[in-house]
Amino acid sequence: MAYLSLTNISKNFENVVAVKDFNLNIEKGQLVSFLGPSGCGKTTTLRMIAGFEIPDTGTIFLDGVDISNIPPNKRDIGMVFQAYALFPNMNVRENIMFGLKMQRRPKDEMIRRAENVLSLIRLENTAKRYPHQLSGGQRQRIALARALAIEPRVLLLDEPLSALDAEVRVVLRGEIRRIQSDLGITTVYVTHDQEEALSISDVVVVMNNGLIEQVGSPQEIYRKPNTRFVATFIGTANEFHGFVSDSSHVQCDEINIYSTRVGKLATGVKVVLLVRPENVEIYDQPPGRDTQNVFEGKIDTITFHGAITRLGINASGKIITADVSISSRAPVTHNQHVWLSFDPEYCQVMAE
Amino acid sequence: MRRSISQKNRRAAWLGLLPFLLFCLAFEIVPILLLIRDSVFSKAGTLTMSNYKQVLAPLYLKSFWNSIRLSGITALIGTVAGLFIGYSIYRWPSQRIRNLLITLSDVTTNFAGAPLAFAFIIILGSNGLVTQFFLKSLGLKIYPAFSIYSFSGLILAYVYFQLPLMVLLIIPAFGGIKKEWRESATNLGADTSAFWWHIGLPILAPSLIAGFVLLFANAFGAYATAYTLTGSRLSLVTLQIGFTITGEVLHDPGIGQAMAILSLIIMGTSIGIYRLAIIRAERWNRH
Amino acid sequence: MDISRKSKPTASQIIFITLFLLYMIIPIIATYVFSIATRWDRSILPEGYTLQGYRDAMKNPYFLITLKNSLVLSFGSVLVSLLLIVPTVYWVHLKVRLAKPLLDILMILPFGIPGVVLALALVQVYNFAPLNRSPVLLTSAMVVFTMPFMYRSVSNNLEAIDIPTLTEAAQSLGANTIDILVKVIIPNILPGILSGSLLVFATVFAEFTLARLIVGAGFKTFPMLLVEYTRKDGTIAAGLSVISFTIAWIVSLLILWVGGKGMKTSQDVIKAH
Ligand SMILES: Nc1ncnc2c1ncn2[C@@H]1O[C@H](COP(=O)(O)OP(=O)(O)OP(=O)(O)O)[C@@H](O)[C@H]1O
Ligand SMILES: [Mg+2]
Repeated sequence: MAYLSLTNISKNFENVVAVKDFNLNIEKGQLVSFLGPSGCGKTTTLRMIAGFEIPDTGTIFLDGVDISNIPPNKRDIGMVFQAYALFPNMNVRENIMFGLKMQRRPKDEMIRRAENVLSLIRLENTAKRYPHQLSGGQRQRIALARALAIEPRVLLLDEPLSALDAEVRVVLRGEIRRIQSDLGITTVYVTHDQEEALSISDVVVVMNNGLIEQVGSPQEIYRKPNTRFVATFIGTANEFHGFVSDSSHVQCDEINIYSTRVGKLATGVKVVLLVRPENVEIYDQPPGRDTQNVFEGKIDTITFHGAITRLGINASGKIITADVSISSRAPVTHNQHVWLSFDPEYCQVMAE
Repeated sequence: MRRSISQKNRRAAWLGLLPFLLFCLAFEIVPILLLIRDSVFSKAGTLTMSNYKQVLAPLYLKSFWNSIRLSGITALIGTVAGLFIGYSIYRWPSQRIRNLLITLSDVTTNFAGAPLAFAFIIILGSNGLVTQFFLKSLGLKIYPAFSIYSFSGLILAYVYFQLPLMVLLIIPAFGGIKKEWRESATNLGADTSAFWWHIGLPILAPSLIAGFVLLFANAFGAYATAYTLTGSRLSLVTLQIGFTITGEVLHDPGIGQAMAILSLIIMGTSIGIYRLAIIRAERWNRH
Repeated sequence: MDISRKSKPTASQIIFITLFLLYMIIPIIATYVFSIATRWDRSILPEGYTLQGYRDAMKNPYFLITLKNSLVLSFGSVLVSLLLIVPTVYWVHLKVRLAKPLLDILMILPFGIPGVVLALALVQVYNFAPLNRSPVLLTSAMVVFTMPFMYRSVSNNLEAIDIPTLTEAAQSLGANTIDILVKVIIPNILPGILSGSLLVFATVFAEFTLARLIVGAGFKTFPMLLVEYTRKDGTIAAGLSVISFTIAWIVSLLILWVGGKGMKTSQDVIKAH
């Protein structure tokens, strides 16, 4: 059995369905992200694991034991909140030692552990400071340290970085990942930032409207989205609506697209075909005969994004988005006539 | 050129404050300064502390002791009871009832003075409703152990306006306790009492201290309620100062001046502590 | 287990609130009932009801005089307060912001001065005719004493609206200074002015300390009559208390109604009794 396992969890608030039929198994030492739009039930699920909300149905097992009826202060699960979580009347060391104090650990052990976690987050010199004397990023690192000090069996983080600047966010998420894998602590990480989820997780759980849309590694979620929601929520995608014309083709209006991903979808089924912008190839000349899915178009918009440049290409009335790396090809110009192609490997097909 | 004109304008703008400043000088600042001066000068015009020395006489010392005791006890009762009642109101589920209770506190805290004193005489005077009820129905004589005209009665009447004041002061402070602190504490293994002991009360402490000193000052300066209830039976600082003005009891006016300055010092200290405590309380919220 | 509200009050909450309500309401109810009771010392409920106490009170020649005196004093203080404080606060907000800290101190200072001390200071300085022991001196004392209320109400209101922007907007639309004041500024700070005036009115009407110590018997006010009767006739005293309570209730509710926006801040409530 998995280390942390949620089975058939549902939760309603009055008449709002917050979480529905939630089933998930988390292995020991994994970092699992809950990713989804606002209001999809991420926080509610996390709070049920922590014990702050009681599920209407279902069971939560931790290390093979049903913890559903254990009160939150006895669960031994650490939690890091979005903001405000440090006790303002205590300095950093007192904050960190609070959980240990509740466990009535000996004083010298408390001090030693506080020093350990402080060095883990590289903030040894802040022990005597009060929360209002720290920056936002430092506060969140202390909050993390405080949760880790009690050596919890599971660590829960609810959008821990969303109140911070973009730059601090990137640094800190790397730090969280480093500490998490150093300690091998089983972690659930809630975020609505897909880049964050993809970059630090072992497993990503994409949620929508209280339901799990897909569970998988970041690569799987990105490359092989199971549902249209996942495909469009994660990254961007060009969408083509049409129907399956044979076991490897989708007919979308006038154009016929070859895809190796039609799978078991029957001929005639209405589908949506998705191609990510980075899987759209651009040519100045018509490509060779063996290239599949070639279309002609004119460059409509050019947006510079740093490492890549995003082009909007008007192909017989439909705007197709393509990401190109300018350094690797000749410069593009507005209204330039181009050819583009989709690699059949990357043409996702799913039923509408 | 422009600069000198704007400077002139600015000086002219200050002139707009003149009526108010003159009024304050005439009826607030100068009289108080003269009071301070008179309290330390003898009739012959020499600097002397004799007025203050006279305050050391048992009668006046007693009045300070009574005033401080009365203010301290009613402020303490008001603070502790106000903490629990304020929390009960803060957590009451219905917004309408919460607003109603806050409005009630708002109105009743201003019900000090003669009408309030008389209301307490009606229910707890020697012939009062509750007094008679206890005597006739339960055979309990609450007099003379308790008397509304004495120290114990004053406590009861003062708490009537102290308690709602504390309720009004403390309710906003509960709003400052973030839900995240409660949940973090729980998550780290604290139960309800551990949360209040280690986090809730320390965070409320500045507000409680601010409330306490404000209640203390509030009671210390009160006059009408005590005058109506006790007349001259009990010696309080404000009553004694009153006597020196009306001349009901023959006093050296210097003693009244000295007592007035001492009470200003006590009030000033209380308000100073209040300000410090408020600054401290606001620090928690600077997140 | 959390600080947020539950859907039902707990038992301890109900007990605390009930005790609080009893303590706060019994004295008031008792006064109202006592003022119309014939005899109420032998039974739980009064033996009968009568308006005799009110009739007796009104027969007293002093009743109307003191009522008139108190009303004159209250309205007079409100008027002086309005004329003196509102323009000053407005002026400081608009033209001399540097003077704001000074104003803050001067306006709040009376909170720290007990009524008896203020009375003593004024009586000793103004011990010459015609000011000594005069209603004019009393009015000045009342204005000083209630200054914090008027100041806070008006100042909070001024802070809440952006005067410079409003003024500039009005100017850009061609309004002159008088137009701006009458049609733009005053309507916008009217709630503050009104609730400040009501607070001053209620406080002055109920004020006993300053009235008794500064003018004494020469200009008897309503609270002074009430204190006199607490020692003479309980029923009449109860009638007079009821009148005071009722005025206080009405004014408080008016203030809430005018304020609309919500509760007074706790600072406004501080009051030297
Ligand atoms: N205490 C509550 N009472 C009523 N409804 C609630 C409560 N908590 C959450 N909900 C509702 O449950 C749904 C899921 O909320 P949840 O907080 O879990 O979303 P989330 O995925 O964390 O969103 P976000 O990214 O905005 O934090 C929402 O529709 C929300 O309005
Ligand atoms: Mg959330």
